[in-house]
Amino acid sequence: MSVADLRQSSDPARVPSGGPVGAVVYRPHAVSSRFFRSELLLIFGRRRNWVGGLILATVPILIAIAVKVSPPSPGGGGMNFLNQITQNGIFVALSALTLEMPLFLPLAVAAIAGDTVAGEAHLGTLRYLLTVPVDRTRLLVVKFGAIAVFALVATLLVALVGAMLGLALFGGGPVVTLSGTTLPFWTGAARLLLVIAYITMCMTALGAIGLFVSTLTEQPIGATIAILVLALGSEIMDAIPQLSVIHEYLPTHYWAAFGDLLRDPISTAAVVPGIWSALAYTAIFGAAAWARFGGRDVTS
Amino acid sequence: MSVMASRPILRWALPAGVVVAVLGGGVVSNQLRAAANVTLPERSPAQLIVDVQSANLTGVSGTVVEKAALGLPTLPERLGGDGSSQLNSLISGSHTLRVWYSGPDKTRVALLGAVGESDIIRNGNEAWIWSSTGNTATHLTVKDTPGVMHPGLGASAGVLPSMSSVPMTPQQAASAALAVLGQTTRVSTEPGTRVAGRSAYVLSIAPKDTNSLIDRVRVAIDGAKHVPTQVEVFAKGHPNEAAFSIGFSQVDFSRPNADRFAFTPPAGAKVDDQTVDPAHAFDQVAKPPTAVIGSGWTSVLATRLPKDLNPAAPGAGAGAQSGKGLGLDMVLNTLPQVSGAWGHGRLLQSRLFSVLFTDDGRVLAGAVSGDRLQAAAADPAAALR
Repeated sequence: MSVADLRQSSDPARVPSGGPVGAVVYRPHAVSSRFFRSELLLIFGRRRNWVGGLILATVPILIAIAVKVSPPSPGGGGMNFLNQITQNGIFVALSALTLEMPLFLPLAVAAIAGDTVAGEAHLGTLRYLLTVPVDRTRLLVVKFGAIAVFALVATLLVALVGAMLGLALFGGGPVVTLSGTTLPFWTGAARLLLVIAYITMCMTALGAIGLFVSTLTEQPIGATIAILVLALGSEIMDAIPQLSVIHEYLPTHYWAAFGDLLRDPISTAAVVPGIWSALAYTAIFGAAAWARFGGRDVTS
Repeated sequence: MSVMASRPILRWALPAGVVVAVLGGGVVSNQLRAAANVTLPERSPAQLIVDVQSANLTGVSGTVVEKAALGLPTLPERLGGDGSSQLNSLISGSHTLRVWYSGPDKTRVALLGAVGESDIIRNGNEAWIWSSTGNTATHLTVKDTPGVMHPGLGASAGVLPSMSSVPMTPQQAASAALAVLGQTTRVSTEPGTRVAGRSAYVLSIAPKDTNSLIDRVRVAIDGAKHVPTQVEVFAKGHPNEAAFSIGFSQVDFSRPNADRFAFTPPAGAKVDDQTVDPAHAFDQVAKPPTAVIGSGWTSVLATRLPKDLNPAAPGAGAGAQSGKGLGLDMVLNTLPQVSGAWGHGRLLQSRLFSVLFTDDGRVLAGAVSGDRLQAAAADPAAALR
């Protein structure tokens, strides 16, 4: 945006009376996607994030090759979805998502979310952003939006690499639900999209927690580790039966509920509380990030 | 904004408000649901029992939540704790089932695991047991023998292997509870409640014998359909927390579609075909000797473990290789050892029942304390000779 643009968009009425003559008070357009686009470019343009994406995509590739080389015997038990792969390649995507849900996906989201505010502060670019001027609330909204987009892209990456490779190696066909019934291929593919949407919601909720943690520190690595510790600590507590009283309040408790979307008919027993839980965590920690960031001194 | 600029602490009112709204929203909606006025015409216990017996249930489907707080050592998920989809896991933790019922010969029960499911589908003479974890389907065909009544899902529990003896639907649990009514029992009504968003009568069944570990059994009976929708069993000394409860969290009384009960094993699944002859179903299984000591709510059942399940029996190593034997073995070794005039053994005590495993392979179980169980073990009838 050129200086001329700024002049044109400035409204004389908004210039505070008594202000210096010729001062331009720039108010950003109410809806401008420019900052958001530059934020996305930052996330998806970084080489380290490309490497991270490559690691996420390795898991479905490994699964597909391993199953191709040594197919599981029918009825052999073992992991859910893995024993379906030889029948239908789309299960590579579900197997990969199941495997990456506990650690790899949260790790990727933690790295991105931890970097959002703390990374800018660490590089010393946060104050320049704020003097542009970008409203602090808008900065947070843009950062959160970018986290949500990243969560969706990361989940889609795992699922699509898995589905493509699986379909290429094993072919498609009817999709077997957890209930033992069979769905037509496209209905099954739609179920996979629902699973992706649900996992994206869960990861975005973790991203909102990460956004808040990121406003607490100027060390992006510290923020990332803290987010990961929170996620893994929650998973560990979820596995301890003696703590069953607090299980439903843990942010990771409903992560595995995407299984509900693969039953016939779709069950709402765990997936609906899961959606509420993700929305609640997003709202609470989004608000907390706003409260923390709006009131803090930017010192670096 | 200026107030917030000078007092940044005020900004924290927003997240605090969101926390209050989220938690408060949950609590308030729960309390509204629980405290909503239940206005049902008065009915006596006897009337309620008749209502239940004469209720004409053509079809029902819904979600059933089962919770067990028996005071047992909690089992890890691998051995059937929380969220496990294994059918023998219903004794521990909390579980969710989906139920479809369209007459006694058309039933489907699905036990939901985190990412897994076990289904039992009964359709006429056929039954399927599906396990998503193992990708296995067991097909049972009941031989059509004239004169032998086709049992419903509950009665066939003994015929169908690996089906848990724990009640799978509120109907079964209620009929089991109502079956022990008699002179031993005090039956009364309690204020109505709401189950799955519907008004329900509450029938309270309590043993007169104070030696029973059971304090009372509460059966919620749907106000409109007269069908039991929830059963809660309370243990002595824990009047507010049900030791075992099973009930609908969501229910629909319309008849489920017939194709819900048709099961075709998916391609690639391991299918095991079995034929069950109800007339001779128990011939193949060597029926272990059993005896009942005492009567009513404090009666004790004594039986002998099948050889391959008995960890104390010689050659138990072979049995221990099967998952069930392994689990039983591991659990048994954690139980306290007891001994008396009847011999030695290990005692499992829960809030609702006790089980005594003697070293000579006998098993005694009852809703009584461990001491009374040991006294029963010394009874000559429990020697099982």
